Amino acid sequence: MTDWTRRQIGGLVGGALLGVAAPHIARGQGRPRVIVIGGGIGGATVARYLADLKSIDVTLVEPNSTHVTCFFSNLYLAGLRSLASLTFGLETLAERHGITIIRDSAVAIDPAGKGVELQGGPKLSYDRLVVAPGIAFKFGEIGGYDEAAAKIMPHAWIAGPQSELLRRQLKSMDDGGVFVIAAPPNPFRCPPAPYERASLVAYYFKQFKPKSKILILDAKDTFSGQELFQDAWSRHYPGMIEWLPSQFTGAIKAVDVAARSVVTEGETFRAAVANIIPAQKAGLIGEKAGLTDASGWCPVDPVTFESTLQPGIHVVGDSIIGGDMPKSAFSANSQAKACAFAVAASLTGSPHFPPHLFNSCYTFLAPDDAFTNALTFASEGGKIKTVKMFISKVGESAEARRRTAHHAVGWYSAFTADVFGGGS
Amino acid sequence: MQLVRKAATVSRAKGLAAEIRWLLGVSLSAILLFPGNSAAEDGSQGAQIAATCASCHDPAGRGQAIPPIVGMDEQGIVKAMLAFRASESPSLVMHAVALSLTDGELAAMARYLTGKANAGWQP
Repeated sequence: MTDWTRRQIGGLVGGALLGVAAPHIARGQGRPRVIVIGGGIGGATVARYLADLKSIDVTLVEPNSTHVTCFFSNLYLAGLRSLASLTFGLETLAERHGITIIRDSAVAIDPAGKGVELQGGPKLSYDRLVVAPGIAFKFGEIGGYDEAAAKIMPHAWIAGPQSELLRRQLKSMDDGGVFVIAAPPNPFRCPPAPYERASLVAYYFKQFKPKSKILILDAKDTFSGQELFQDAWSRHYPGMIEWLPSQFTGAIKAVDVAARSVVTEGETFRAAVANIIPAQKAGLIGEKAGLTDASGWCPVDPVTFESTLQPGIHVVGDSIIGGDMPKSAFSANSQAKACAFAVAASLTGSPHFPPHLFNSCYTFLAPDDAFTNALTFASEGGKIKTVKMFISKVGESAEARRRTAHHAVGWYSAFTADVFGGGS
Repeated sequence: MQLVRKAATVSRAKGLAAEIRWLLGVSLSAILLFPGNSAAEDGSQGAQIAATCASCHDPAGRGQAIPPIVGMDEQGIVKAMLAFRASESPSLVMHAVALSLTDGELAAMARYLTGKANAGWQP
């Protein structure tokens, strides 16, 4: 909001030039127009499902031409998948689903004027806006850890170059080194993922650097799927993975990038490779547009996913306060579908039914050992509440776990086709 | 003594299986008789629920690990969903999904998927 105003004032000086270089793009005649900011899992899904209704003009604003999925990127770190196999272009959404893709960054939102300002110039107007900015990091909560430090001690929590950096470091690490993972405080993107990362990197070490160790310095005292992970660590990687909860270390206070060390309240740990996953908050445009509250996340209506702070703007995916829904790709996809049908109903009068919200995650403990969970949610008193929860059990047969790993791979290909269009 | 107990268990199990089959048959006919929009309309209740299926089942029907659902008939879909609703095995995900849908929603979803397949699904 503030930025918008500043830009408008700036426009008084460069207004004429701006008018020529960036003509105002008018709203389509007759057809309502929806702008979606963010081409990740939530944003791409909303855009696709809205466009498929064929009665709404959909524009997707995303600076990157491709999206690398965070889910399955731990398999890449372990050398079990290529990064290319986790990379999806947005062109199918344009070519087969009729979505206008604008490769640019949204820098400001004007809720009153229903406009979005882009870094590249043009100002877009909308009837409804959907914002899916994903996560941003709370740099500064760990002393010495900022964007520059992340180039030496990667977070690899947004897949892409950061994942490549961490993979390179793990490959060049000497056998016998210690790989330190700093696991973040709640809430954060994909709760079981730091521990899946430890499992799959341990699998890699077991084959190529068997004297190496993994140390998880956690900001928490418990974690998602803990019993299943600890059972798997003792079965597959005995003595390789050590997990230190916050109550033992007094939590991570700082990093020393030059010394490659992680400092907790009581001790300093030297790392051959350090993966620092910082505390998280909603993606920056959410904050700039006044969509976030004191928690740093975006509160929304649990049925329509309309912001409770800015009417007419909907938010889906990792950046929302999702009640009991974890921040996962599956949650984002499920929220996006509910949001798309609610937005369509508000614009075209199409029927709207109570949404069904789901989450299901596949988590790898080893390439042929995976567990799964399945959760259903319903809106209750303005919040998203868990209705049912099922999860794989410790002691399942190796065959059951192999089958789950096989399902995971099948799920990945169907899910990404659902999100990015086409059919694998 | 042992044999008698075994025979009783077997006959109880048989009775239970017959009961489940009967219940499945009754619910199946009841669900298939559910009124509602029958066409494969985009935006219909069936379409909104079926959107969930596409998070795991490839709409082009090329799934290997996760079985395709394109081309299943209405009765087959309802029958499978009732079996998933009754048991955690073989799929936790399908058990959760099936439990969350009412009979009416299940009927609308099955009708939509069948109608869509008949109309030649274009993913």
